Amino acid sequence: MADSVNYSIISSEIFLLIALCVIMLVDLFQRDKERKLTFMLTQGSLLTLFIMGVQDLGVQETIGFSGHWIQDQFAVVLKLAIYLTAFISLLYARPFIRERNLMRGEYYLLTLFSILGMMIMVSANSLLVVYLGLELLSLSLYALVALQRDSNDASEAAVKYFVMGGLASGFLLYGISLVYGMTGSILIDEVANYIAVSGANLMIQFGLVFIVVGISFKFGAAPFHMWLPDIYHGSPSSITAYISSVPKIAAFGMAFRVLESSFGGADIHWTPMIMIVAMLSVIVGNIVALIQTNLKRMLSYSAIAHIGYFLLGLSIGTDEAYAASMFYIIVYALMTLAGFGIIIFMSSDKNDYQQISDLRGMGRYHPWYALMFTIIMISMAGIPPLIGFWPKLEIFRLLVINDHVLAAVVAIAFSVVGLVYYLKVVKEMYFTEATDSPNVSNSRSLKIAISVNCLLLVIFGLMPDRIYYYCLSAFTSLN
Amino acid sequence: MSDVDFVDWAMTLIWILVKIVLIILPLVLAVAYATYAERKLIGYMQLRLGPNRVGPKGWLQPIADTVKLIMKEIVVPQGSSKVLFIIAPILFIGPSFAAWAVVPFDAGLVLADINLGLLYILAMTSIGVYGVIIAGWASNSKYAFLGAMRSAAQIVSYELAMGFALVGVLMCSQSTNLGDIVTSQSGGILSWYWLPLFPLLVVYWISGVAETNRAPFDMAEGESEIVAGFHVEYGGMAFSLFFLAEYANMILISFLTAIMFFGGWLSPFEGLGVLEEWTAWIPGTIWLLIKASWFLFMLFWLRATFPRFRYDQIMRLGWKIFIPVTLVWLPVVAIIIKAGWLD
Amino acid sequence: MLENYLPILVFIAIGLGFGAFLELAGYLAAPRKENFDKTLPFECGFDAFEDARNKFDVRFYLVAILFIIFDLEVAFLFPWAVVFQELSWFAIGAMGVFLGLLVVGFIYEWKKGALEWE
Repeated sequence: MADSVNYSIISSEIFLLIALCVIMLVDLFQRDKERKLTFMLTQGSLLTLFIMGVQDLGVQETIGFSGHWIQDQFAVVLKLAIYLTAFISLLYARPFIRERNLMRGEYYLLTLFSILGMMIMVSANSLLVVYLGLELLSLSLYALVALQRDSNDASEAAVKYFVMGGLASGFLLYGISLVYGMTGSILIDEVANYIAVSGANLMIQFGLVFIVVGISFKFGAAPFHMWLPDIYHGSPSSITAYISSVPKIAAFGMAFRVLESSFGGADIHWTPMIMIVAMLSVIVGNIVALIQTNLKRMLSYSAIAHIGYFLLGLSIGTDEAYAASMFYIIVYALMTLAGFGIIIFMSSDKNDYQQISDLRGMGRYHPWYALMFTIIMISMAGIPPLIGFWPKLEIFRLLVINDHVLAAVVAIAFSVVGLVYYLKVVKEMYFTEATDSPNVSNSRSLKIAISVNCLLLVIFGLMPDRIYYYCLSAFTSLN
Repeated sequence: MSDVDFVDWAMTLIWILVKIVLIILPLVLAVAYATYAERKLIGYMQLRLGPNRVGPKGWLQPIADTVKLIMKEIVVPQGSSKVLFIIAPILFIGPSFAAWAVVPFDAGLVLADINLGLLYILAMTSIGVYGVIIAGWASNSKYAFLGAMRSAAQIVSYELAMGFALVGVLMCSQSTNLGDIVTSQSGGILSWYWLPLFPLLVVYWISGVAETNRAPFDMAEGESEIVAGFHVEYGGMAFSLFFLAEYANMILISFLTAIMFFGGWLSPFEGLGVLEEWTAWIPGTIWLLIKASWFLFMLFWLRATFPRFRYDQIMRLGWKIFIPVTLVWLPVVAIIIKAGWLD
Repeated sequence: MLENYLPILVFIAIGLGFGAFLELAGYLAAPRKENFDKTLPFECGFDAFEDARNKFDVRFYLVAILFIIFDLEVAFLFPWAVVFQELSWFAIGAMGVFLGLLVVGFIYEWKKGALEWE
């Protein structure tokens, strides 16, 4: 049924688009400075989408719109993760943007637009639709970063993001056009067919290089990571929390659709590239994070390292490994949200407190939050029984099983290096003398959100099999 | 290529050239005498005499003006981009003449009977804006620069309203061929499109006035603010090219209004029995000229009557009134057509 | 079919050539006596005191961007309108959705003041 126009498989997207229009109009005619109604409607539509998504779990693979669109378990699971993390990030954002004059309807609208873009990315079944979703996502994110117009840092970050993002899109598009030139099709299935029949000739390998570079750029994996810390650092923290977590889930969807679904037959060509990029990311991310004194920058470099681990999973190239990668990226999104949540939590009023030294005395004056932060840091470092441990373990295990022992050893070694800077934060909180109470937010909703987020890390850590089960089901249903 | 083919080609080309000359010559004459008519008319409306010195009743005034303009020096200001400065008026006048290629003067009496006539006209009138911007930019003068900015923004704004209005015409006529648009209106004065598309007619006509930068929308050259706008640095023949093109555009807008909303060359007495018989000898071209002259007269009338708008008023009219009006009226047209009230 | 477009090509050439010819005639017939003061850009009797290619109001950019969006909309409407009477209700509804989305955008820019000039 490749040619059918089947509205049921894009019902979520249609719903979100209608919701967007309604929210946009409602927001326009709203006088409320707090944007309460906009916020409620946004979160309400995310919840509705979540419910719609849950009902789709276990769905049959359906391809529609002349083969450009696919709905399968993979897309559904990723979309659910996107709704959930976006929901949490908007909860975090609210007190932060209120204090910084960012409480504008556009904040929510652009977030929703980027979510629409992500949904298109993970459900795309043709390279052009992937690109379409990617651009919708990227353009929204550029605007989101630029939302704080009176801040020099944010404007600079936005311009950098725009230029680098444009470059990455250009690479990706160039790669796609080369592949299209060879295969004569932009449909993922037909590209895969072509490769299965004729193999990957030089031109396709050439295009593949550009595609891998483009994807690495979008992930911010080394050696294409230079833009990432500046942008994470320059953006308003709540937006950093969003752009560092949720879009990565969709980027994974894109990477899978483009690399595995289309070029699965040529994986001897792209898995080594991904492997190199992944190893570099692990090494660069962990080492550079060591010397950071700014918590936000440190988290940015740790994000690069995490992307490295995740890409390692992608480079193995078995279904189980993809499931582990998916597991990793979802967990990563949750942890990163919590990590940048700390910075949001520390920034009350109009001041940002981003230095690691600003955390001094946390253990003495705010023991509960110090405990929460410790949980986040330890989870990021990958220590059991917290959730951050399990996907890492799974990826290392699969690396060893699939004869990438050297890579596994290096990754584990740098994981230990990573411990140093995560524990440095814990040390600052508990063991460095402080004369003054550190700054924390007064917002009750933020206190609840960060506590809940941390507790989730613990609870999931005690029973990781539930998420992993869904990740596995996404890939078993593919075959 | 054989000789016969070559001769064939040459004949075709010469024939085309003859036809083009038959369009351009009357057009240039019409432009010349439109300026005369304008000055006379506005003179009478303001209880003056208008030009009356050169020749009997001032009939030779346009000739004298032309001679004077040719003899004037073309000053290229220092610091200007010389090539662009010289090219701009040519870029402005070329399209405003070329647009006439698809205007039908009677059934079948058209230089190029193409199916994309309307799109072609829109394209040609849009290209004119390049001449304006280049002229303003190349002059290296603040007034010219500001005038060009204003003029370009105004032209593109009203082009939108114009485009939307034309969508209504297309929905009724089912063709972008101007000749077909006229014939689809046949059947008497009540089947011309001015009746079902009345709001669109108003929008189109006023947009046309704004598009040609005519009073009361002549912000771009408001002499009390920015002297003469984008062509302040131009003199002599270079200036008169802008002038020529502006009047050619005015005449074109008058013709187009007549063609698209008032039945072009069709007689207004169609289907009226005796009247139709009595007027059957009048060729369609005359009807078209009468209609177009009326709209040209209205342009002069507007200039004599209305003071100049402020710039914010102009932009508000274009964006906040015309575009919503057309957006509302298009569904109405759709309903009218689907309900079969048009037939 | 295509030969119908030949006169247009010729006409465009003639139109441009006509302009060029007139300008050339002006050059040849008119005197040319340049001096410094004559070639100064006009500035109400002052000497021009800075480069004319100045910064200008950002709203002109805004108009240009909005123009592109709406002009594309018109461009989409044209072919639709030409076959309107043969269209099914589905096609009309599809264009309605398209126009509806753009109307939402239009309301948005209106309320946000993108159409205000002072």
